[in-house]
Amino acid sequence: MSTISKSNKRLIYPALIWFCIFFILPLMIIFIYSFTTDYIFSGGKISFTLNNFLIIFQKKYYLIILGRSLLISAITTFFSIMFSYPVAYYLAKKTRFDKILIVVLMIPFWVNYLIRIFAWKLLLSENGIINQFLLWVGIIHEPFRILYTQTAVILGLIYTYTPMMILPLYATILKIDSSLIEASRDLGASRARAFFDITFKLSFTGIFAGTLLVFIPALGSFAIPAILGGTDSQMIGNMVENQFAHVGNWNFGSAFTLTLAVLSIALILFYSKIFGLETIYKSREF
Amino acid sequence: MNKRKPVFLTIYTIGFFLYIFSPLVLIFIFAFNSGEGYNFPLQGITWHWFIELFSDKTALHSIENSAVIALISATVSTILGTGLTIGIIKGITKYKAFLITALLLPVLMPSLTIGIAALVFFRAISIPLGIPVVILSHVSISISYVFLIMMGRIEGIHLEIQEAAIDLGASWFGSIKDVLIPGLLPSILAGWLFAFMISWNEFIVTYFLIGTDVTLPIYIFSQLRFGISPKVNVISVLVTVFTLTAAVLLAGSRKIYQRIKTGNSYPG
Repeated sequence: MSTISKSNKRLIYPALIWFCIFFILPLMIIFIYSFTTDYIFSGGKISFTLNNFLIIFQKKYYLIILGRSLLISAITTFFSIMFSYPVAYYLAKKTRFDKILIVVLMIPFWVNYLIRIFAWKLLLSENGIINQFLLWVGIIHEPFRILYTQTAVILGLIYTYTPMMILPLYATILKIDSSLIEASRDLGASRARAFFDITFKLSFTGIFAGTLLVFIPALGSFAIPAILGGTDSQMIGNMVENQFAHVGNWNFGSAFTLTLAVLSIALILFYSKIFGLETIYKSREF
Repeated sequence: MNKRKPVFLTIYTIGFFLYIFSPLVLIFIFAFNSGEGYNFPLQGITWHWFIELFSDKTALHSIENSAVIALISATVSTILGTGLTIGIIKGITKYKAFLITALLLPVLMPSLTIGIAALVFFRAISIPLGIPVVILSHVSISISYVFLIMMGRIEGIHLEIQEAAIDLGASWFGSIKDVLIPGLLPSILAGWLFAFMISWNEFIVTYFLIGTDVTLPIYIFSQLRFGISPKVNVISVLVTVFTLTAAVLLAGSRKIYQRIKTGNSYPG
């Protein structure tokens, strides 16, 4: 038995070595970059510094981008919970076709998100379909401008990441014992009270798992603000891309990237401490 | 359960599905519209944009690159990921939770962080950017997805069968090759398809690592930034049809898996 385990154990090494070299090691390198003054491998003088981080908090411009990114991601997460909760509830408790509907719901998710964002651009532009329709109906008399604003970015993010919210929500609501709700109704609770005190509270695990799956990628998004947003809606991703592609300050860019990484790792660890990570990978409809 | 018909919830859910699907429908319609812009009323049906796409060298080249990258990285990460899964479930006992948490990072961390870190890493060790580097990085991400998919589907498959095989005289290698792998085959296939789709759709990491070359998502992104041609719609139609086929295959592999799980027809 134990000799078999020992032999089996060897099977993890090829994957683990690959993972450590091409995933973990790069993260460690940006960690070093973040705390040093010059390119490490360029041969210049290297010294330890906290400046790369201090700039983020000293320059108003960077603080605004950081704050805006957090705010946009929070709004996105909030609305994806609101939009997807009824759907998740319906799928989990009110229909027999939930399995097939979940598969159908995931179809657009597999189509490249750039293409889906492109569709939103068509919908939102000044002579786009929504404006054309509203003008034709007569609700508005001149096209309203929504493309290249923060609203457009938020709409795009909600659309892109909401399916990620539905899956964990559905999985946790599915597990809630319906007899608990019946019992509370028999004991005199109103339908609303039964929902908020039982269903809603018991689905917290799903809400938090969904929050991780929506908030983190939204915070790190780069293509969506680049396509749908204007100058007032640039997020961390666009700033970081700019540092690496145009400005060329890699140490500062690394510091910003590391901030993002630490923020997401902290959220993940916080979540796994409270709920355990199984809920995340088991609830994803792989 | 509540016996009342949930009218409002049903309508809301239908509306939600329309919301999710309408952008795709829109793109399909305009892929066949003969007009240049994106305005209603539609002007007529045409294959013109399909023909235009297939005479666009950059577009074809990007599709080819994406296919090569996705095929190689899916295959490599499935081989590595299968070993990893068997090793973690049937090998190690120590540090298991730590390992699983670390393996979740590529799934949960923003792609931006992964892409930037990889860019800095490859530049630091002076490896030129391009397709090989993209593949190295895609594999390091996809290993996690393959692992998670296999973990999610492995319950109910009787892995003790390996010990039985060895008791009956099989070698260790034989017990993996002839006993475990055939049983895991549906989840291995699912893992491969998933890894393929991850790599095929991957944009941000590729964007930072591809250098001057081009993949399909990179091509689409550049088209979106500099004026919109209905060629993008045609690509979307083709990609969607391709994706649907893959999704059906994925669902099919799950059916086979269910059959193995419920019936006793253990292959091998």
